[in-house]
Amino acid sequence: MNKFFILLKKEVKELLTMQMILPMVLTMVLFAAVGGLVGKESKKVEKPTKILVVQLDDGAFTNELISTTKASFDSEITYDADIDKAITRANEIGSLAIFIFPENFSQKLAEGQPAQVESYYIFRNFSLVGSQKITKAKIFLAGINEQVSNYLISQKTLSADPTVIKNPIMAGDHVVVGEKTAAISPDAILGFVTQQTTFIPIILFIIIIMAAQMIATSVSSEKENKTLETLLSIPISRQKIVAAKLIGAGIVALVMAGVYMVGFRYYIDGMSAGQATTVSTEVAQAAGVLGLKFAVTDYLFLGGSLFFGILSALSIAMILGIFAEDTKAVQGVITPLMILVMIPYLLTLLVDFNSLSPTLKYIVYAIPFSHSFLAAPNIFLKNYQFVLAGIGYQFVFFLVFVYIAGKIFSTDKVMTIKLNFSKKKS
Amino acid sequence: MSKILEVKNFYKNYGSFTAVSNVSFEIEDKEIFALIGPNGAGKSTALKTIATILSFERGNISICGVDLKKEPEKVRDLISYLPEEAGAYKNLTGIGYLDFMASLYAKNSADKKRYVDFAREICGLGGKLKDKVSTYSKGMTRKLLISRAIMTRPKLAILDEPTSGLDVVNAMEVRNIIKGLKDEGMSVLLSSHNMLEIEYLADRIAIINHGKIIDSGTISKIKSDNNARNLEEAFVKLAKL
Repeated sequence: MNKFFILLKKEVKELLTMQMILPMVLTMVLFAAVGGLVGKESKKVEKPTKILVVQLDDGAFTNELISTTKASFDSEITYDADIDKAITRANEIGSLAIFIFPENFSQKLAEGQPAQVESYYIFRNFSLVGSQKITKAKIFLAGINEQVSNYLISQKTLSADPTVIKNPIMAGDHVVVGEKTAAISPDAILGFVTQQTTFIPIILFIIIIMAAQMIATSVSSEKENKTLETLLSIPISRQKIVAAKLIGAGIVALVMAGVYMVGFRYYIDGMSAGQATTVSTEVAQAAGVLGLKFAVTDYLFLGGSLFFGILSALSIAMILGIFAEDTKAVQGVITPLMILVMIPYLLTLLVDFNSLSPTLKYIVYAIPFSHSFLAAPNIFLKNYQFVLAGIGYQFVFFLVFVYIAGKIFSTDKVMTIKLNFSKKKS
Repeated sequence: MSKILEVKNFYKNYGSFTAVSNVSFEIEDKEIFALIGPNGAGKSTALKTIATILSFERGNISICGVDLKKEPEKVRDLISYLPEEAGAYKNLTGIGYLDFMASLYAKNSADKKRYVDFAREICGLGGKLKDKVSTYSKGMTRKLLISRAIMTRPKLAILDEPTSGLDVVNAMEVRNIIKGLKDEGMSVLLSSHNMLEIEYLADRIAIINHGKIIDSGTISKIKSDNNARNLEEAFVKLAKL
């Protein structure tokens, strides 16, 4: 064989170790599983969307219009003008939007005037699938508009204003978040929330993986550099050694998180020439009314959730790092952690969490970092109990894993344990 | 003479494999005691256990009367351990490493200064202490590590193969450092493959094979008991048994 190919074969063999193949395969499996789940969730969006119609106009024309949307929308009709009752009912039936057809709706159209339909879009989550559902609810009004426009053209009401013929329905958009309502388009609010929260999961994902690698490397490099035995023989408790490593990595990870967040913001700003991070006064005011602006306490909740999420990851990585004989093996041993981080990262980004099956939900809740990924949207929705419970769970998880790490460090296992991917020789 | 180390009926298993079996020996104050044996005989395991790094199943080990099993942290205050393949933190300078290690033992800044000054004097690295450890040769690193191990003047210095891999000059310098430890009021437990080194350094020895002590005493006693001209001959005779 050509000498070059002999060398090439050796290089490929050295790089393609089990430590490298295993993460690759597991990541592929995870992507396939999440892809399947997102596909399933997207199919739910294809089902008729539930909406609530407040019918205050007694004209048969309006009823006929609503009936034309049956294929795409599962409409419940109410005749009570009380918007609060309508919102309560919408929440009961899981409706994503309320459309109010006013008393003079048919009459105005008959007179060739535009008719106002008040729309209320109810936000229950801010995921990709969640925004798809809101977008689909919006289509209802677009459909009605088209129907009326076609009707006006068929009636040859040429005396009417062409603008009215093209867009006979004027939408009065409102957004509902929890018990708060603001007059604003749902797209503006979705844009605002996305802009405020896009960085968090990406940065959190990067930080958790980097911090985990950092601490696992810190343990394995003590083994590789032959400093571990000396460290274990000094008159300091093993718990203190574990705590110093964890807190050291935690501090560096937090600094990294801050630097990356600033860097990422500049990156997005640069890409969009500053438009992505500037918010119009109208949107900012509406977001304030809806409680979608982070107060100091909200930042504390978010920071707490991120910090304990990182600490939980570090405590797991510390234990996994003990299995690594050298720094080269670190990538392989932290694979389970990477998978655990990727599951909530992808699910919170892509799927409407509330629509997951209870079993899947609890599996995701059991992963401590899920609570960090879920913190921002839940703070937006003022679901503080959920965030606090998440922080509590992360804290307990961290303590348990630090205790386990301390125990392992107090036994021979810290010296003798290792993950061996090599084949047993017969 | 008071006893610094007492090992009684000590056993250490790795799963079903018994690495050390029913080992007993003692080290007196200001005594250099060597544990010698072939590769895999259980020397390093015994030293690591006495250094509180490994746990043990049966037996008693005490240092200056402190029970190792009950009070390992107190024992760590009395001992110092130099592993066979020890390394130093490569991102630090030599003096930075000594300073860092001294901080972990010292109760106050005066203690720390005393430890560092003593280590600086022993290691003989002079101006090289300002260089990064990553630039050190094996001999320089070993001298730095030995000075680290004894800078606190521990009651018992546990040195596993202290001259392993060193050239003749460096090995001789390290041996001289160890020889002088008795005068500093320390006792030494060491292991080595080098019989000449053992003859030069040790007051008493124990020969260990397959985890068991097969002979112990002064070097002259072992030589005469085995009708050997030197320790190497006695060791080979005993190891073949």
